[in-house]
Amino acid sequence: MMHLMIFLPLLAALLVMVVPNKWREEVAIGSTLLTLGLGLAIWLSGGTGAYVRDWVAPLGITYSVQLNGVSLIFAVITAFMTFIAALYAVKRIPNPGTMLGLILAMETGLLGIFASRDLVLFYVFFEWALIPALMMLAIYGGPSRMKALVKFAAFTLFGSLLMLLSIIGVKYYSGADTFALYGFDVRLADGTLRHLSGLTERVVPQPVQNWLFLGFLLAMAVKLPLWPLHAWLPDFHEQNHPSGVPDVMGTLYKVGGYGLFIFAMPLFPNAMHDFRPVLMGLAAFTALYAAWIAFSQQNWKRLLAYAGLSHMGFVALGIFSLNETAIIGAMYLLAFQNLYTGALFLSVGMLQERIGSVDTRVGGVMTQAGAMGGLTMALWFASIAVPGLAGFIGEFSVLLGAYQVQPWITAVAALTVIAAAAYALTAFQTTFWQARPLGAVATRDLHGLEWFVLGLPLALAIFFGVYTLPALNLIQPAVQNVLGLAARALGGNP
Amino acid sequence: MTYTLPDVNFLPLMPILFVLLGAIVSTVGGFNTSRRNVTWFNIAMLVLAGLSMTSLLGFGLWNRDLSAFNGGVRADNVALMIGGVIVLGSIMSLLVSLDTAWRARVSFPEFDAMLMYAITGCLLIAFSGDLIVMLIGLEIMSLAGYVLATLQDSRRSEESGLKYFLLGSAGSAILIYGIAFLYGATGSFNYAGIAGRVAEVLNPATVNAAADAATTVALAPNNMGILVAGALLILAGFSFKVALAPFHQWTPDVYSGAPTSISLFLSTVVKVAAFAGMLRVFSGALVDAPAWHSVLQWLIAATLIIGNMAAYFQTNFKRLMAYSAIAHTGFLAMCLLAQPSAGGPALVYYLLTYTLMSGVAFAIIAALQRNESGLSIGDMRGLFYRHPAYAVALAICLASLAGLPPFAGFFGKYLAFQAAFQNGYQWLTVLAAITSVISLVYYLRPAMLMFMPDRTPAREYAHGQRPPTNATVLLGVLGVILLGLIPSLWYNFAANPGIWRLLAGIGQ
Repeated sequence: MMHLMIFLPLLAALLVMVVPNKWREEVAIGSTLLTLGLGLAIWLSGGTGAYVRDWVAPLGITYSVQLNGVSLIFAVITAFMTFIAALYAVKRIPNPGTMLGLILAMETGLLGIFASRDLVLFYVFFEWALIPALMMLAIYGGPSRMKALVKFAAFTLFGSLLMLLSIIGVKYYSGADTFALYGFDVRLADGTLRHLSGLTERVVPQPVQNWLFLGFLLAMAVKLPLWPLHAWLPDFHEQNHPSGVPDVMGTLYKVGGYGLFIFAMPLFPNAMHDFRPVLMGLAAFTALYAAWIAFSQQNWKRLLAYAGLSHMGFVALGIFSLNETAIIGAMYLLAFQNLYTGALFLSVGMLQERIGSVDTRVGGVMTQAGAMGGLTMALWFASIAVPGLAGFIGEFSVLLGAYQVQPWITAVAALTVIAAAAYALTAFQTTFWQARPLGAVATRDLHGLEWFVLGLPLALAIFFGVYTLPALNLIQPAVQNVLGLAARALGGNP
Repeated sequence: MTYTLPDVNFLPLMPILFVLLGAIVSTVGGFNTSRRNVTWFNIAMLVLAGLSMTSLLGFGLWNRDLSAFNGGVRADNVALMIGGVIVLGSIMSLLVSLDTAWRARVSFPEFDAMLMYAITGCLLIAFSGDLIVMLIGLEIMSLAGYVLATLQDSRRSEESGLKYFLLGSAGSAILIYGIAFLYGATGSFNYAGIAGRVAEVLNPATVNAAADAATTVALAPNNMGILVAGALLILAGFSFKVALAPFHQWTPDVYSGAPTSISLFLSTVVKVAAFAGMLRVFSGALVDAPAWHSVLQWLIAATLIIGNMAAYFQTNFKRLMAYSAIAHTGFLAMCLLAQPSAGGPALVYYLLTYTLMSGVAFAIIAALQRNESGLSIGDMRGLFYRHPAYAVALAICLASLAGLPPFAGFFGKYLAFQAAFQNGYQWLTVLAAITSVISLVYYLRPAMLMFMPDRTPAREYAHGQRPPTNATVLLGVLGVILLGLIPSLWYNFAANPGIWRLLAGIGQ
């Protein structure tokens, strides 16, 4: 079931390319729905066990996948947002075949990232998800997409290549048999069992660990993104297709926090502990700085990009604090940020469809498109962490946990909450309220599918903002497990 | 006085003989039949040569470790694997030339004859067991290569051929000088003999007491300088052939000046053969010799920087591929820095994937270009909407060249990095990673341009898609995807440490 969930979208992507035009949409939507269904079924059955097979035996590269805990919730949300994105793409983009294929191909990469428990496999999926993202930008991007594309690719690939070296180094210096996170037994030809050790069983000695961690961190900090490696992000979102569909996928691609959590924490505990103050400072600065920049943006997409960046600063703050509450909060934030930020990108797409612009100073949209304005505002409330919505749980837990580690840095980061309200509400006000400009085109309100596209994510954001238990039941044990691994490596002294 | 007959055994030479037969038939038969027939015959011969290397035909050579001429020719598994890559690249070149040789005005049987002679030389290098056979192979390959580069009746091609010839012969001269030094230092041309003697000189304790103590002692201190000088001269000579900076200057001009099917051949098959020679000499004969490692790492560093930086600034796609060939030389050579048991399989894997992906890129250029100067990068805008299959294939190959998973180029790069990293060249791998980013940018630019919508009229050759070229492209793309998803298909053959122990002269 797990493998089907990972590779079904890729198969569907190939299928979309070959079936007759009129069937494409049904195939694409059906497969995203099926993937989501598989994800929910796995959730109901409490996650899957680890599945380990040799991939390139002489090199110790395995195909190890598992969907449980944090990765399961990320996978389900990815499947959900892909469904929403595909739904909107069908409605909005004329002749959406290529776009649907790319969305589906990217979904496989993303699900693979969350499922893999082998460093090389992780790297493969990590890069695989990049290719459709680049293609979406190339095929559907704005006028200066080439610059955005090169920037995006150069930043991400620079990070990932250094991460590749770290991956090579981790196995080499720890002396593990495989790249798998956890060891496993193989039955040899003569019937005896042999234990192949995984990476978490041996800790890389200091000071090599610090260097390897820096290589790994660089890749994740680009994806996260963390100041000063965020420069690709606004251009990427600004130049993407106005519908916002590629932006949703781009939002899902921010897997840096997850990578740090699932790999860096158990593999480089000492290094993370040593760098903690610096990294937390960097994270807090990112959050505040991004919010500040967002305040002065006059393009909705850039504004959303910087808002996302600000959230990611919070995520990073939580992870780097190595505190249980904060990490749970960071994972919560990372998971549900995809929902409301993705939906907001789609609402910007709807705005662009109606008034032909993504400028924040349009004015008066609310007078004719009340429902759209209302839903957008509710999503913004989720984004700026109004209590009762999913964003609040994440941000509050991060602040609560991080405060116990670095009170001053956390206090600075907490200012972001105020700044977020400022940039979000100002931009919302200038677009949706204010005077309606003279001679403005008639603005149609939400209809049909659009209600679903904005409503479903909002409903989930409310649900998980009020009733956190299902998500916490998945996140908490996983965080405790990873922290336990890190603590063992540190000698019980996290 | 007793005479011993030389160890004449033609069985290990079988693949070479098939290719040589093709060359002779093209030379003689070209007067009586059309070039197309000659080419198909040659492709058949190449397929037979390839099959004779496996154990499929019943008389195959795989796993038999045959040698002939007192170890002068060795058909061990390493030779067979590299020979297989050479044959594959040659088949791709011939298939592409079927479609484009006429346009490039090189469609006459002499073209095939020269190509087959060159392949004979390439195989001879891969199968060589001593320096003399290697040199003979190298010279056959190079001389045929000079002619091939000049064959087209154009000023550009003449210029490129002359450049190739002058610099190539300088390289050969340096190489021969190095071989003489090496013989002077060790008293042997044979790889195993040299390796054994080098090991003796460096570790006198390992010398068998029964061995001739007098010669050993005489060799030890005095000849070390000659050994080092010989190794470095050979390194310089090979650097010309594989285009390691700063000996790479001829490459872009030759690759972009020659007809495109020849560029395909030169940048894949000839490079593979030259690397086979380097593998034999440096990972085999000189594996324990001092000094060359540290020189090679600087050459690689220079190659990575110069190749990638120069490629970044190219506006012509064919020239870009020429510089990318230089850049890949740097990645390939990283494998030589490792222990043979890790570097050897990495090199063999990388050579195969490099042949496939580079071959496809040149094949598509050959099919789409309007004239032999290739395509400009701007011309590729919107290719996806005009030739969707070619655009997708080219994009896959460019992604693979850039080292993006899940394509085969990723594992090639990964193995090369790992090989160098584990042998203590961490700084070089970091440099390689950084220069890779540059390469990603210049591979991505054409790849992404192809998918951008375009309303200007097409700038390609209108009749660009023909069955043999399509077959080449399909073969290459399937290979790149398959080897990327299941690297074990090829790597498991290469990863057996036993075959590399032999290469290093251990266990002789």
